[in-house]
Amino acid sequence: MSDFLDEVEAAVPALRRYARALTRDVDRADDLVQDTLERAIRKRALWRPTGPLQAWLFRMLLNIYRNDLRGQRRRGDHLALDAMGIEPSTPAAQPGHLALAEVGRALGQLPDEQREALLLVVIEGTSYADAAGILGIPAGTLMSRLGRARAALRGLTGAGDEPRLRTVK
Amino acid sequence: MSAGRNERDITVTDETLHAYVDGQLDAATRAEVDAWLASRPERAAEIARWQRQNAALKTLYDPVAAEPVPPRLDPHRIAAAAAPARWDWTRLAAAAVVLVGIAGGAGWVLRTATWQEAPASDRLIDGAVAAHALYVKESRHAVEVGADDKGHLVTWLSNRLGRAIDAPDLAAQGFTLVGGRLLPPLAETGTGPAAQLMYQSPTADRLTVYITAAGKPVGKPFETYTEDGLEAYYWANAQITCTVVGDLPQKQMQPVAKAVYEQLTWRPDPPARS
Repeated sequence: MSDFLDEVEAAVPALRRYARALTRDVDRADDLVQDTLERAIRKRALWRPTGPLQAWLFRMLLNIYRNDLRGQRRRGDHLALDAMGIEPSTPAAQPGHLALAEVGRALGQLPDEQREALLLVVIEGTSYADAAGILGIPAGTLMSRLGRARAALRGLTGAGDEPRLRTVK
Repeated sequence: MSAGRNERDITVTDETLHAYVDGQLDAATRAEVDAWLASRPERAAEIARWQRQNAALKTLYDPVAAEPVPPRLDPHRIAAAAAPARWDWTRLAAAAVVLVGIAGGAGWVLRTATWQEAPASDRLIDGAVAAHALYVKESRHAVEVGADDKGHLVTWLSNRLGRAIDAPDLAAQGFTLVGGRLLPPLAETGTGPAAQLMYQSPTADRLTVYITAAGKPVGKPFETYTEDGLEAYYWANAQITCTVVGDLPQKQMQPVAKAVYEQLTWRPDPPARS
């Protein structure tokens, strides 16, 4: 019992990070994590996770997120960069880096399925095999979503053409 | 790869390039891709762009994992909070009969202090939960009579229970009727056979409503217990006993239980059976 809770607790920072990147909203992200934890704790007795606990938690979080999205669309999805304390004028950390705010904004414009995949791989460092498992898609689909996400980010951040690339901040 | 192979012969797929950017290549393959990119500036520029995207995303979100975790996200606290909680529909409960929500994992042990006078409810909840666990996993044989034959289903179950029951409409809560089945009486409850109605959400979450004719009366102030595992909401009146079972979040289960309660029980005078 407490072993389970300890393991869940160890996964909370990663769940928060992923939820924050998915939603770009501090409160929504933590609500999502809380729903996930409540469901995980409730479901533990019935369905013992067969795989790694963290993957099970991420799957659950994504299910809840997708369900919530249906309601969310009606209200319109507002970017909440302000809530993260990131100003559009935030300077790039290093020359050659894309402006952070620009990337954050572009992230919000990605189709959900691309954002889910990209963040799982990039932010969480999940292996392709695990990410495909968490998302419930074949490995080939994961790769094509990654490809499309990266191409879309490039378009959305205005880093579309070669010569400008080296000067993009 | 083999040392004898010329760099120019390496096939570097998009998948390999993604894996390169995402740090999912072993050192040897990585070195090969480095060499391959050295002679392909346009691909190298694209890869550099992907790397900048990755770096930007990490800069944005890595710090979140280092933030202090708010207390509401402490699993120990959440598990503890799943202890006794009060429903917000005391108004209905006070006017009605006995109304109990319990939930438990494997044990289904009601707190004896609360339920010494009503052991039948204990067995009914056990029966409802066992039937729920057995049938919600079925895909083709989840129900005996499907919702497409609802009129027959309701008539049949009403006749067998000896009570006029209807299948509650849970559309407002996002659940549609799958169908129902008849289940044998439980020992020492004096309630006769049971009807199980199954509902399903668009996301394939299922819940069941377990109804029997009323057995011996139970008189107990309204209490609610919630523990982790399935949620079961039980009540009884002079006509029927009803247990709503599901493993959905409490905030989803409560409106469902309330709707079932209102539709099945909240009648001063249930119509006589036809």
